[in-house]
Amino acid sequence: MNHPALAEKFAKDFNRTTWHDETLWFVRQKRDRAIYPIPEFQELRLLASQIKDHTLSNLDNYLLQFEENAIKNGVKVHWAADGEEHNRIVLDIIRNASSIKGKTGPIKMVKSKSMLTEECHLNPFLQKNGVEVVDTDLGERIVQFRNEPPSHIVMPAIHLKKEDVGETFHEHLGTPKGEKDPQALTEAARQHLRQKFVEADVALTGVNFAVAETGSFVVCTNEGNADLGVNLANVHIACMGMEKLIPKVEHLSVFIRLLARSATGQPVTTYTSHFTKPADGKEMHIVIVDNGRTQQLGRSDFRNSLKCIRCGACMNTCPVYRRSGGHSYDFTVPGPIGAILSPNIDLHKYSSLPFASTLCGSCSDVCPVKIDIHVQLYKWRQVVSKENELPAAKKWGMKGLAKMLAMPKVYDLGGKVARSALRILPHGMTHAQSMNPWAKARELPDAPKQSFKEWYSKNKKS
Amino acid sequence: MTSREKILASVKANKPSFLELPVISAFEGDGSIERFKTVLAGIGGHAIEIDSKTDCQGVIDTHYSDLKNVASKLVKASVEIDINTSKEVLEQVDLAVIDGIIGVAENGAIWIPEVNMINRALPFITQHLVLVLDKTYIVANMHEAYKKLDTIGNYGAFIAGPSKTADIEQSLVIGAHGARSMMVILY
Repeated sequence: MNHPALAEKFAKDFNRTTWHDETLWFVRQKRDRAIYPIPEFQELRLLASQIKDHTLSNLDNYLLQFEENAIKNGVKVHWAADGEEHNRIVLDIIRNASSIKGKTGPIKMVKSKSMLTEECHLNPFLQKNGVEVVDTDLGERIVQFRNEPPSHIVMPAIHLKKEDVGETFHEHLGTPKGEKDPQALTEAARQHLRQKFVEADVALTGVNFAVAETGSFVVCTNEGNADLGVNLANVHIACMGMEKLIPKVEHLSVFIRLLARSATGQPVTTYTSHFTKPADGKEMHIVIVDNGRTQQLGRSDFRNSLKCIRCGACMNTCPVYRRSGGHSYDFTVPGPIGAILSPNIDLHKYSSLPFASTLCGSCSDVCPVKIDIHVQLYKWRQVVSKENELPAAKKWGMKGLAKMLAMPKVYDLGGKVARSALRILPHGMTHAQSMNPWAKARELPDAPKQSFKEWYSKNKKS
Repeated sequence: MTSREKILASVKANKPSFLELPVISAFEGDGSIERFKTVLAGIGGHAIEIDSKTDCQGVIDTHYSDLKNVASKLVKASVEIDINTSKEVLEQVDLAVIDGIIGVAENGAIWIPEVNMINRALPFITQHLVLVLDKTYIVANMHEAYKKLDTIGNYGAFIAGPSKTADIEQSLVIGAHGARSMMVILY
């Protein structure tokens, strides 16, 4: 299903849509309050953008430098061309780990947030191969129980009300029926997941930033689930898209100052953890993933999207995302940034996403690394049209309109007919949703008696 | 060709022409103890000032007398923790009292290097966390913090307040997976 169809489904529940809209806007306002006290915030955005530009322009060398240093640190580095290879590598690491080999009973993995593993569909793959996978971020655990994908990259369960979570926990964790107090529900999840942390053989995390000069990587969480998982298990696997690299430790300061402020309006996440070497006797692995990223790097109009640090600010501010919900995008990363990343992966499947925007530019305004998101949305529309991926009505409508606009006489006549038709025809016909989708939630203005052209020729001074 | 070679070759072929790395100018700011305390309170932690580091024990006795299993190298410990301590023992820790190295006034974060953690899992698995910090080691912002760190070491973390989540309807809940409370003792 395309974005308009899925969005329509979400928007059917008017009260819930309004609540979703207001909740996300509240996060956007928190972001504003967090950045105003930082006088150099705009300068930081520019720096972050330039550091990422530089890194992308020298990415092969930084990847090599990162690999070399990570290996020196005793970390094993793996490379995956696509999602499938990534999944296979992760499974091989687990099966070959000395602490796991020969284990009877299921192998247990705890995972902290990683949009990359969502992108690669790692969970179902591991489960099929006998690995028990538990998402430990509270929001991710909620959607995992419900067998749903996250609807937001920072707040995975933002589409759900506390009553929904209460229902889910009643079913899976045995909380009392009707319990909907967030404090009580979080406590139930804490008790349930502590047990999972202690039992886990292997912990998987994402990567927020990877530092080439030291071979280290940084993971940011509020809950503490990444550190708990990693430090209790014998094997740590960190999966990263290749665009997560930055050159030096000093650059972390710029990105750490931007990330949480842009994401949730916090001055910093509770935990900003720097992993360089594994603990004695333990294993640490890094999987570097391409999965379409080098292709995007080669698209000069769109490579800027690789600068994204996954803060989600563009989602929180987007009037379309806020009223259509993350699931309407049907892509791992929803919202404006998802709408410029997804066509690179599958132009046919995601051809409606670049149109899920008013092109208001609010996404570009809040982006901490200054990605020109709305410009790229516009450019993807041209690609979609050129590749013949527009829906028939839009395609022929545009073609017809182009012809008409090229013939002034036909245009004048058309205007006249339309103006009279609007006056004469009943409202039910001019606003028939099957014929005029524009009028679904809008009223057409009263038709004027004459066009501007007619008025001008009558009133111009001869 | 391995995936590694393929990826590197493709990056080389597709990357844009070289762009210079920008220079980060020295950003200054308010590095006062007051700002640090205000920001920390805003993220759910709180700070207490004492005259000398030796008074730590008194603070712990006053505020945490009800907690049984205390892990620390700074105050009287009731559980012995080292790098080999089992998960089952770590899980029983009620309070960890740990030395911080650098405090950041703009966000309330404190840097904890691996060596101060006693066990890598301790600051995260403990039910309550106390960080002890020399107040002359509070800096204004993250730039100054990284500058002051000689190295990020094998493992280390900035910790800012107690563990928290807002994943259910954006309602803030303190005590997600990590510490349920976090106090900073400044000396």
